[in-house]
Amino acid sequence: MTNEQRTPIASARGLVKTYGKGDTAVHALAGVDVDFGRGQMTAIMGPSGSGKSTLMHCMAGLDRTDAGTVVVDGLEVSGMNERKLTKLRRDRLGFIFQAFNLVPTLTALENITLPLDIARRPVDKAHLAEVVEAVGLADRLSHKPSELSGGQQQRVACARALVSRPAVVFADEPTGNLDSTSSAEVLGFLRRSVDELGQSVVMVTHDPTAASYAHRVLFLADGRVVGELADPTPESVLAALAALRPARQGGSALLAQTVGV
Amino acid sequence: MGRVALRGIRAHLVRFLLSVLAVALGVAFVAGTFALRTMLSGTFDGIVDAAAPGDVYVRVQQAEGSSVVTGTANATGESVPRDLVEEIAAVDGVAHAVPGVSGPIVLVGADGTAVQSTQAPSFALMYVPDDPSLDVVEGRGPQRPGEVALESATLESSGLAVGDTTDAVLGGEVTQVEVVGRVDLGGPMAGATIVLVDAQTGQDVLAPEGGVNDIAVYAADGTSVAQLVDRISPLAPDGLEVVAGDALRAENKTEIASQLGFITTFLLVFAAIALFVGAFIISNTFAMSVRQRMRELALLRAVGASPVQVFSSVLVQAAVVGLLGSALGIAGGVGLVSALRVGLGTVGMDLVGTIPLDVTTVVVSLVVGTVVSVLAAALPARRAALVPPVEAMRDDVATPEKSLRWRALGGLVVTGAGVASLVVALLRPEADSAELWLGSGAAAVLVGVLMLSPVVARSAVGVLAWPFVRLLRPVGRLARGNVVRNPRRTANTAGALMIGMALVGAVSVIAVTAQQSVAGVVEAQTNADVVVRSATQVIPAGAVDDVVALPEAGRADPIAFAPLGVAVGDATPEVQYVIGLDSGTLGGSVEVDVVDGSLDGLGAGEVAVLESAAEEHGWGVGDTLRVSGTGGPQDLAVTAVFTTNILGSPLVVDRGVLDGLLPREQQMVDTILVSAAAGVSTAQLQDAVAETVAPYIVVSVLTREEFVSSLADQVNQVLVILYALLGLSVVIAVLGIVNTLALSVIERTREIGLLRAVGLGRLQLAGTVTIESVLTAVFGTVLGLVVGVALASTLPTLFADEGLSTLVIPWGSLAGMLVLAVVVGVLAAVWPGSRAARMKVLDAVAYE
Repeated sequence: MTNEQRTPIASARGLVKTYGKGDTAVHALAGVDVDFGRGQMTAIMGPSGSGKSTLMHCMAGLDRTDAGTVVVDGLEVSGMNERKLTKLRRDRLGFIFQAFNLVPTLTALENITLPLDIARRPVDKAHLAEVVEAVGLADRLSHKPSELSGGQQQRVACARALVSRPAVVFADEPTGNLDSTSSAEVLGFLRRSVDELGQSVVMVTHDPTAASYAHRVLFLADGRVVGELADPTPESVLAALAALRPARQGGSALLAQTVGV
Repeated sequence: MGRVALRGIRAHLVRFLLSVLAVALGVAFVAGTFALRTMLSGTFDGIVDAAAPGDVYVRVQQAEGSSVVTGTANATGESVPRDLVEEIAAVDGVAHAVPGVSGPIVLVGADGTAVQSTQAPSFALMYVPDDPSLDVVEGRGPQRPGEVALESATLESSGLAVGDTTDAVLGGEVTQVEVVGRVDLGGPMAGATIVLVDAQTGQDVLAPEGGVNDIAVYAADGTSVAQLVDRISPLAPDGLEVVAGDALRAENKTEIASQLGFITTFLLVFAAIALFVGAFIISNTFAMSVRQRMRELALLRAVGASPVQVFSSVLVQAAVVGLLGSALGIAGGVGLVSALRVGLGTVGMDLVGTIPLDVTTVVVSLVVGTVVSVLAAALPARRAALVPPVEAMRDDVATPEKSLRWRALGGLVVTGAGVASLVVALLRPEADSAELWLGSGAAAVLVGVLMLSPVVARSAVGVLAWPFVRLLRPVGRLARGNVVRNPRRTANTAGALMIGMALVGAVSVIAVTAQQSVAGVVEAQTNADVVVRSATQVIPAGAVDDVVALPEAGRADPIAFAPLGVAVGDATPEVQYVIGLDSGTLGGSVEVDVVDGSLDGLGAGEVAVLESAAEEHGWGVGDTLRVSGTGGPQDLAVTAVFTTNILGSPLVVDRGVLDGLLPREQQMVDTILVSAAAGVSTAQLQDAVAETVAPYIVVSVLTREEFVSSLADQVNQVLVILYALLGLSVVIAVLGIVNTLALSVIERTREIGLLRAVGLGRLQLAGTVTIESVLTAVFGTVLGLVVGVALASTLPTLFADEGLSTLVIPWGSLAGMLVLAVVVGVLAAVWPGSRAARMKVLDAVAYE
């Protein structure tokens, strides 16, 4: 491992995010320290309300943090104003959402090149062809989103997230709405983008199978990182999740050691 | 379900407020129109009551009522013998018999200019001391020549005070008069300038022939009107009639109502347009709100609400919006009329104090606003009710757009029918039905194009958006996508603007064409160097004589006219204006085109008729017309049929013939055409004439160029009013665009969140919304202008006779309209755009 590869592509220190005030306050993130590896695919898992989506939103500059710092690709995200955040998202981040990923009025190709168009950057034809080839959509490029299947739409979204060569791709339940075949296609593609193109991917999911595509899985509960798993399989993820449940009643620190590496 | 509907309104307050505003504007127009009409007729009814308070009137027998209000002499020049007054006064049960004598007057105010208001007449009334309708409130009544009393409002607007001395032009002469009193006539006189003169002057100047307009008879206590009529009738010679005051007043009111009917119709057309445009906005609002709430409505369906319940919940919302909007609109209408009254007040037209808001106005306005709202919401409500719950519950609701095929077909049929009807009108422009064909054709074309507009929207907006797509990547393309994504909605939104702009386009073409035609006509048809006109429409006789006598004037041709009875043979005479011209005027100062016969030496026993009148009445060369005035009837042979655009009356005779029919004092001269004598320049002539007529205050002297531009100014004045009304429909259209944009921004929340997430900046987002708005506005404007200009282009062919000779298309103002459309688009986008830009990315992405 070179030095370059060892520095994380994104990291958070002491991240706190609270919704509401007083008695009704919900601590979505209660002091999270986390690093996401460069050239790695990291999955974030956890039960509903564990703060996994909030973590990702804060990392991606979509949500403001109450305390702590977020650094993405060497830039401190916390403290950026809206204009800088927009620029960050445009130039350094890629996004894949669970649904409604595409602008319905644009064709698949136009959707893919949208971030470049917004940034008024020239399209790298060769890279575009490579990405399109990889998602297997070469014959679908002139179609509108409404003419594509759910799986195809998500693959277009993947292509869009990758075409601008972002530092990190953030994927929020990218396969949440897909059947298993389409899920496998999309996840396989994301993993290949890491292995073959050296992309860094952070993915929030609740599906152990999806998580097993990642290099590493982070487990969140009650706004804290409670464990992680390297080179996961669906079974090991399930086991870890099962172990997590009593952990919510017992001490999380102890369990972090049991499941941790 | 009612609760659900009301909660829905509360949850989406802004959206509904916009709809309410749209309804309010439309209804304001309707309510304002009705209130204005009631107020106007109330005012005029008051004038009629004040002007004709007598119990019984003796007047010249007539088919149509002559207007007591304006105090004009009887149209045929006949009058009631003055001697009759004493005879009637002697009848048992008669308290007073008051002769009505009136005539034109020009009064000079304190500031040295003529006292006049734009439209109201200026006339002198003979003061009869025992006239019970007159109430001397200050000073006394005029008793000898040189004394006048002024009606209260006239005194106020003249700036004079009782005791002042001023000038008046009476009977064609400038005379000095002293204001000796202030008199009330029992009601507001709508800005008319009313001067009371003494009995002597009245007899000598206003009724030199010894006749009076009418005799007002007041009953003594204990005598009924019917008894009076019975007793007086035997006294009245042939040709006179005795009518009850009530009947006379009713007759006058009916006459006024029919004249006001035109204004009302005109305003109601605008109200209809405003409501039509408002209906677009309402239907758009509900279509979008239903679309957006598809899931909520589906949930209601899923938990057991029937389609009827869903349907009616949407309709309840529409009814609430309609009622609220109508109520606001009624208030707005009252506001509009108040503003109008202030405006009219400043030009001297007093309208009665309170703005009448009668039950009918309120009910009609409420019903119209509510019904239009409910109808506009019915279609979206039906769609909401019939969507299968499961389909709507699915994550992304993609309600399939209905095919536009039927709409295209229907639009083509309606447009085609409209064009066919226009062609019918154009092929037979002289037929009576041509105007009907034209009107219905124009309306059909407008509706047809409205129907077609979603079909053409895609390609048209594609073309319009081209520069944006090329220059503003990717914002232009995003905006274009949003505009063409739902062509129906785009077309509906643009439709409001389209209607307004079609009218603007048509009006500006007609106006410029009319101006140009007028200019062309004057250039081509008069050789006069200087034109003398009067602000009161009548040039005092003294001024006419003075101008004719000027040595600088080589030729001075007064155009005199008088209303006379005209008939073929013994048929009932119809009142027509007859022009009397000095010999040599035709073909000299006035150029005419002779269609048939000859104008050479038009003299005694001869009359020339305008082609349009000849066609209307079936007159031709060789026919004999019986023309009657106070000088007795004369049989005149038609010797020529001609066309001209400079003379407004259908019959032309030699001045000598006119003098024989009606004494000069009773003729009116509205224009004198003056040509310079040899060696005199136009400027010298103008100065000389101006100096001569200066004492007559109201007379102006114009060169040909000034005359042309003064005519053009008249056209412009009408235009300003039209543009103001059209401006309102444009305002409503702008609201419509704001509404649609705001709703479409809400509807696209997730998409906007996505765009922002992948890096679209706030400015870029606002820019996208702005371009959408501009595209929609420009689309509506272009479509509207094309239709309006095309329709207006047919008019010169149809109305060549009325003076619209050459078609002129005002490219400059049309381009101005396009610029306006861009401005409108940008303005309309301000609020929705900033709203979109302010959305929080994460909230937007997670928006349900």
